[in-house]
Amino acid sequence: MKRLQIAMESTTLTNGLKVVIAPDASAPVVTVGVYYKIGFRLEPQGRSGFAHLFEHMMFQGSANAAKMQHIKLINSSGGLLNGSTHYDVTNYYEAVPSNALARVLWLEADRMRALKVDDENLRNQRDVVKEEVRVNVMNQPYGGFPWLDLPPVAFRNWANSHNFYGDFADLDAADLGDVQAFFKTYYVPNNAVLLVLGDVKDEEGIALAKKYFSDIPAGAPPPFADPSEPEQKEERRGNVEEKFGTLPAMAIGYPVPPRRTTDWCAMALLDQALYGGRAGRAYRELVLEKQVAVEVDGGIDDIFGYNGPTQLVTRILHKAEYSSEKTLAAFDAVIREVRDAGISEDELQQLKVKWRSDYFSTLEGGRGGMPRYGLMHLLACFTLFDNEPQLVNSILDGFMAVKREEVQAVAQKYLRAEKRAIVFRRPVNVGAKEAA
Amino acid sequence: MAASIAEVLSAVPALSAERPVTWPKRTKARLSNGLEVGLAESHAIPKLHGELFFRSGNAAAIQRGPGLAEMTATVVRTGIAKRTSRQIEEDLRRLGADLSSSAGADTSAIAFAGLSELAEPLLGLVNELAREAAFPEPEFERERRQKLEEVKLSRTQPGFLASERLRKVLFGAHPYAQVSPSEEQVAAYKRDDLLSVYREFYTPENGMLVLVGDFDPAAMLKTAEKVFGGWAGKKPTTTAAAAPANPRGRRVYLVHVPGAVQTQILAGCDAITRKHPDWVRLGLTNSLYGGAFNSRLVMNIREDKGYTYSPRSSVSPLRQHGYFSVSAAVRSDVVAASLTEIFYELDKLRSLPVPEPELADARNYLSGVFSMGLATQEGLLGQLATVALNELPDDYLETYREKVRSLTPADLLATARRYFDSANMQIVVVGDRVQIEEQAKLFGEVEVYDAQGSRI
Repeated sequence: MKRLQIAMESTTLTNGLKVVIAPDASAPVVTVGVYYKIGFRLEPQGRSGFAHLFEHMMFQGSANAAKMQHIKLINSSGGLLNGSTHYDVTNYYEAVPSNALARVLWLEADRMRALKVDDENLRNQRDVVKEEVRVNVMNQPYGGFPWLDLPPVAFRNWANSHNFYGDFADLDAADLGDVQAFFKTYYVPNNAVLLVLGDVKDEEGIALAKKYFSDIPAGAPPPFADPSEPEQKEERRGNVEEKFGTLPAMAIGYPVPPRRTTDWCAMALLDQALYGGRAGRAYRELVLEKQVAVEVDGGIDDIFGYNGPTQLVTRILHKAEYSSEKTLAAFDAVIREVRDAGISEDELQQLKVKWRSDYFSTLEGGRGGMPRYGLMHLLACFTLFDNEPQLVNSILDGFMAVKREEVQAVAQKYLRAEKRAIVFRRPVNVGAKEAA
Repeated sequence: MAASIAEVLSAVPALSAERPVTWPKRTKARLSNGLEVGLAESHAIPKLHGELFFRSGNAAAIQRGPGLAEMTATVVRTGIAKRTSRQIEEDLRRLGADLSSSAGADTSAIAFAGLSELAEPLLGLVNELAREAAFPEPEFERERRQKLEEVKLSRTQPGFLASERLRKVLFGAHPYAQVSPSEEQVAAYKRDDLLSVYREFYTPENGMLVLVGDFDPAAMLKTAEKVFGGWAGKKPTTTAAAAPANPRGRRVYLVHVPGAVQTQILAGCDAITRKHPDWVRLGLTNSLYGGAFNSRLVMNIREDKGYTYSPRSSVSPLRQHGYFSVSAAVRSDVVAASLTEIFYELDKLRSLPVPEPELADARNYLSGVFSMGLATQEGLLGQLATVALNELPDDYLETYREKVRSLTPADLLATARRYFDSANMQIVVVGDRVQIEEQAKLFGEVEVYDAQGSRI
């Protein structure tokens, strides 16, 4: 079995900023990321969608680089940039020809030091974010399904259950005071990690990190609300209207075991057994064999990238001639089978080979044309959540050690009706009424 | 030369000396049966990515049925002489592999990725799919019903409705006009039609195999000969297609979606293919207009005015014809205002030379991003396939950046005047008629359609 060993060096600056350097000189390109340990889960109450709106504001100007300069300076260096907001982290990243490394670090340090934004910028980005929500959610068939539909049904803690893209009233209520307060609280060097990957040497990367970031003062350790959930004792159900699509849909969410436990590794392989493409049991049974459904997919989204309650989610679009209950019964049969009979040794071996292969692709994977996004993401999350970037080289072992019995046991323990939540997304279009 | 923006901000670190790009070594070969092969090494992960292309797609099958090449590709993976659908899927998983078979306008393709230690059995499976697909009747029936649902679903997506209408308008009687079959056309598919498309299109002389990954090219070439060498088959005959409609004068096509909370704008005109000598300069002109984050259109209607999240322009090069298009999903009360800015920025590029510093930034952007696209196995595979399928010169990768860097403001002005044909742009707006029809009328005569494609 071929292994992949990622070479890296890591350190913590005196202001608490963690730094990870992963050199690879195969191409003169360098990827830089800054991850802050705050996502939409723990954004302020009454300000749903704020973490994401704030991410947009980070491109609107900092102490020495006015609005548009960040974008201009990266693009004109031959590079790409973006940012994204997740449950528990928010990232900003660039991939540039390596001769622009110092420039990128200067820019990231400048906006970690001080944001310089005004009401005009905030109004502009609030408008942009609303169009983003419309194009991705409100004006699309099955928009936001189920990532925005399931949490309010599944969870009781506001942190996990609110609208992460933001209610428009909350977006409208956000002001510059909120922006600066959020920045001061969470965007401190001691709540972040800087990553430099690619065409850079260890000592060069660490020296540059010190040069540009070490004089940024540390902040008070940020307060984090408790995201834990009360124990769930009965199945939860909810309904959402589907405005454009004509097929009835449903999503089922089961809880996921705590990170880095044996159960968690077993759950990941169970995820592969259920949702691994056309060989996965859910797709095979519901789409290929019983032909109840048109689309079935699911799994644990971004398994290394969250740090709080999350779910194993199934998303089903089914034929109108099958009722929701009949469709759910077909799905339940899939779950019952794996709970009752487990998986064979042959199936487990297949799952492990595929899991290993997928892991390599995750590491190599680019995003929006940016090389090494996947490796950056894993290094960042392992640093912020575990203070252990080296996990990227060893985490695979836990998944490869899973036994058949453990897969069945985790199915029995976690895939239980009283632990799950179901959302039905029902078309409102005339002529698309579901069969009784 | 005027100072670029970076030098004006004195605190910004200057760029250090550029390090040379090492272009990936490629091997080109032809197997004994005529199958063209392109190989490149990429050792970042112990995997390989491959694609077996056939130079015939939906356009070549249009007389027999729109979308028939796509349907054929879909059913290819559902059964072969020696393996059932379920066995194929499980064998793929056993090899740590992903596989997709699909067809576009110009090609049919089986794309795959897996562990390099299991490359030979994966290629063996691909070989069987290309030669021995069985088209089992029940699998065909199921996939056809699936396709019907997909077709229905796509008619609820604003992006699909916009591109469907634009392609119809730009291409007229040419096969590129039809991006998707209708429900009736899917219902009329016959298994025999799929078989005939398969026998004609899926041949080594019509094919090209591209492999990128963690392997030794000489050894891999031997493996490819061993796996695919025994396969024989001729190139299919091709028939000439009708000329595209390429309509004159600006017109507006409104696709009415009752209750839409936003309007999808898509405007386009005839342009060029990748083989055309103006390809690179049009690419740079497009990048400056709306092809990059730091482009005039994005800065205007997103960062200044906040009309939209995702404005973009692009050049779509199909094999026989290409077209230029601009898209933005905008707030419905600013459809006219957005179109005004879209045309303002087009006409400005047609009227005034681009200032040298802005051009320098755009040249740097395009040449930097180009080499970045080669950094993953999948990205490199895409570039190799593009070069081969479009019969571009062997040194296309090595010379691209020099071509970009040699372009002048005069080149861009001439390019914009030639291809940003604002007077003949066809404008599609997908949204709620009540909110947008009056605004749309300001830009030309309006034809209104429903989401099923019927004129209303």
